[in-house]
Amino acid sequence: MREGLIIEDLHLGLRAPAGGPSDSSARPVLSGVGLTVAPGEFVALVGASGSGKTMTALSVLGLLPPQIQATSGSITLGGTDLLAASGAELNRLRGGRIGMLYQQPKRMFNPRMTIGSHLAEPLKLHRGLRGRQARAHALELLTNAGFEDPERVARAYPHQLSGGMAQRAMLALAMAGQPELLLADEPTSALDKVLERQILELIDTQRRQHGLGVLYITHDLATVSAFADRVVVMDAGRVQEEGPARAVLGAPRTACARELLEACALTRRRIVVAGEASGLAPSRDILALNGVTKRFAKGRGARPALDDVSLSLREGEILGVLGQSGSGKSTLARLLVEVEAPDRGSITRTLPGGAGKDDGGSVSRGVPGTEVQLVFQEPHDAFDPRMKLFASLEAPLLRQRTGTSDERRERIQQAVRDVELEPDLLERYPSQCSGGQLQRLTIARALLLEPAVLICDEATSALDAVTQRKVLDLLLRLHRDRRLSLIMISHDMNVIRYMSHRVAVLYQGALVELAGTSEFFANPQHGHSKELVTAARPHPTACAAPVACSDLAACAHRVAAMATRAPVVIGGVGGGPEASRSLDLVSTPDA
Amino acid sequence: MMLFLGRRTAALVVAVLLASFVVFLIPYVTPGDPVRKIIRSRVAGDAIDDSAVQALTAQLGLQDPLWTQYLRWLGRFASGDMGLSYTSRTPVVDQVLPALWVTLSLVVMTLAVAALIAVILGIAAALNEGRAADKAITAVSQAFIAMPEYWLAPMLVLVFALELSVLPSAGWEGPTSAVLPVAVLALRPASHFTSAVREGMLDALGADHVTAARGRGLSYFHTVRKHVIPNGLLPLTTLAAVWFAGLLGGSVIVEVIFAIPGMGRLLFDGVLNSDIPLAQGAVVVVVGLAVLLTTAADLVHGLLNPQVRMRHA
Repeated sequence: MREGLIIEDLHLGLRAPAGGPSDSSARPVLSGVGLTVAPGEFVALVGASGSGKTMTALSVLGLLPPQIQATSGSITLGGTDLLAASGAELNRLRGGRIGMLYQQPKRMFNPRMTIGSHLAEPLKLHRGLRGRQARAHALELLTNAGFEDPERVARAYPHQLSGGMAQRAMLALAMAGQPELLLADEPTSALDKVLERQILELIDTQRRQHGLGVLYITHDLATVSAFADRVVVMDAGRVQEEGPARAVLGAPRTACARELLEACALTRRRIVVAGEASGLAPSRDILALNGVTKRFAKGRGARPALDDVSLSLREGEILGVLGQSGSGKSTLARLLVEVEAPDRGSITRTLPGGAGKDDGGSVSRGVPGTEVQLVFQEPHDAFDPRMKLFASLEAPLLRQRTGTSDERRERIQQAVRDVELEPDLLERYPSQCSGGQLQRLTIARALLLEPAVLICDEATSALDAVTQRKVLDLLLRLHRDRRLSLIMISHDMNVIRYMSHRVAVLYQGALVELAGTSEFFANPQHGHSKELVTAARPHPTACAAPVACSDLAACAHRVAAMATRAPVVIGGVGGGPEASRSLDLVSTPDA
Repeated sequence: MMLFLGRRTAALVVAVLLASFVVFLIPYVTPGDPVRKIIRSRVAGDAIDDSAVQALTAQLGLQDPLWTQYLRWLGRFASGDMGLSYTSRTPVVDQVLPALWVTLSLVVMTLAVAALIAVILGIAAALNEGRAADKAITAVSQAFIAMPEYWLAPMLVLVFALELSVLPSAGWEGPTSAVLPVAVLALRPASHFTSAVREGMLDALGADHVTAARGRGLSYFHTVRKHVIPNGLLPLTTLAAVWFAGLLGGSVIVEVIFAIPGMGRLLFDGVLNSDIPLAQGAVVVVVGLAVLLTTAADLVHGLLNPQVRMRHA
């Protein structure tokens, strides 16, 4: 009997709708995936979003969405055939022999139940423990998951935990059934780098103590480089490259692995190149805020969301707006698209093609202008889940009352091709698309109205590194081809540096700095700007900033971590492991 | 939690006071002189003596400023003195309390029946989403939500009381007399509750934590019983309280049709006969109870939902 998890030649396809004709032309979800996880082995499954990583994991658990089914292949765990297992057998396997970690741990707990009562379930189900015994075990599991006060955590409700704590509680839950295999589906993608490392170390400890096989799914090669024994790279539903972590990371053989590595690790170089290449001489102002103040909270002492901000966007310019959450970035975007009106000050719009307009503190009635369009952060929330994508894209055109049905279809298909997608996609529902595809579609939808200005409010923050790069490059191309002016709103220094001619920094609602991108990064003036720039530099103490460690080669942390296990050397930078140890890991709130 | 309770209670008191003030103003804005009405209700004969009017006006303190009158009225009201009914010449409170008891039992039975039906049908519909059972339940509940009581009630009386003679057609004596009124009154809340339970259940079924529970090895039925149903029924508590408050005053039609001596009937008679003290007493009690129930529902919702509970802790 062969040990561990063995997936052989797994094909997944869309189930034909009941009664309807089977659609054989649909692209299979997975085509011939094979991978193994031996007991005690840490295997990283890496790929861009939409590559089929999550479906691979869900098929192991038998929890595929109803419209997807395994068409051929086999999955065995320690000799048990998982695809042929009955419902009752699967229930014993799930949470028993197989533990699972999810991307958004807080949403994976029942909000009505304490962590302790969650833990009681698998303990009773898979180990027959009840009452005092179960309680003692639950506390032990929480202690092993790195909690210093397991009693308090057991009594806590999910909403009282931070993201990092919730993921550790989820690890305790996954370990409750003493599994032989742990499936981890992007468990740290929503966490900052310090918490990510902490979770990885906890998983690694469990692996060593219990001989646990780990299948760790991620889009970030850099994340797992220090922990993985082997790396499996997936793209378009197939395994593209597979090998020891050292080999894949050190000398990737396939284009897809190289792309992943590059997107995760080498963004900095591309940023500089792109920043220089797009240095068109900007001309006149097309959008200008003059002393704009916007206040949401009432009462004395309440800080305005935007406080006396004067800022302009030049024609053909990419303006980066940097700021942390609560700095007023999104308020700025809402004012510019006339969803909100300023309390004081004015916004001047001198847009090409439209008459100049001075918005003196009141929202204009009637159909809002279409010259300024907005792209949102969360692509899944930007579409009506009950409408096919075509209908979602057609809606703004219908409002314009121009063109025939055929002309609209033509325009929409062209717009979709412009964002490098297949028009076939338009017949799907939002839930059937990846985040990257949907974000391209939100851009396509915004461009349908031929705006002069596109405002991207954290448009790539929810995307993985590879997809983010592709979307950013797409925006750059549109900027060049169409002379589109862009406002890139982000908290991500790399995105801003990659994309912008000028950088504006918002801090607590005030504009604290406005400078050319290269000057800004070379010599930031305001205290807050200095903090931001320092945090973005590769430096061991700066690792709390999520952006810092995406630079794999230069991050001292990662290199130090690699030195302790798999000696993968990509850059030649040294560093001390003590930097991370000294950080207070338990009390980092992030929600 | 105490602060939460305190704030809710303060809001409750303010709401009841506001309502009582409006009710207090009724005789001042309705046509006709209340003093003459009172005299007419107590003295036999048509002729009204002007001196008697003046004497009674002074006796009732109607020449005092409005707010003094309001406070005096409120004080008496609070101590259980709602005045004398113009028509029956008995204390209003003696009519209101028995009527309140009748209406409360009618409404509680109605809501219990409605909730029972809704929980069964709503859960069945959600677990069979998109299938024939779901479609049938949804269609029926949507049709019944618009069914008017004044049509349904005579229809049921016609069939069950007159044709089949199995149930009494009117009155409020014994359990059989409650069947038809409860059936008529429960139909619309049952339809509304059913859609709410179905929606709540579908939300709960689609929640990520349900997938996670399956991933821990919980069987489908165990997951539904422990993680889906309790979460899915949560919205029903608030909805039931809203309907409770609404039915207290909204049972008028049913009470009148079935000749049930409840609050709605009392209110109806009071208004019809211009019996202002009776109408005032009935309205204030109904409004006070409705506000109290809505607050109670919020509290129950808070108790059941740790997120709400702790936000106010």
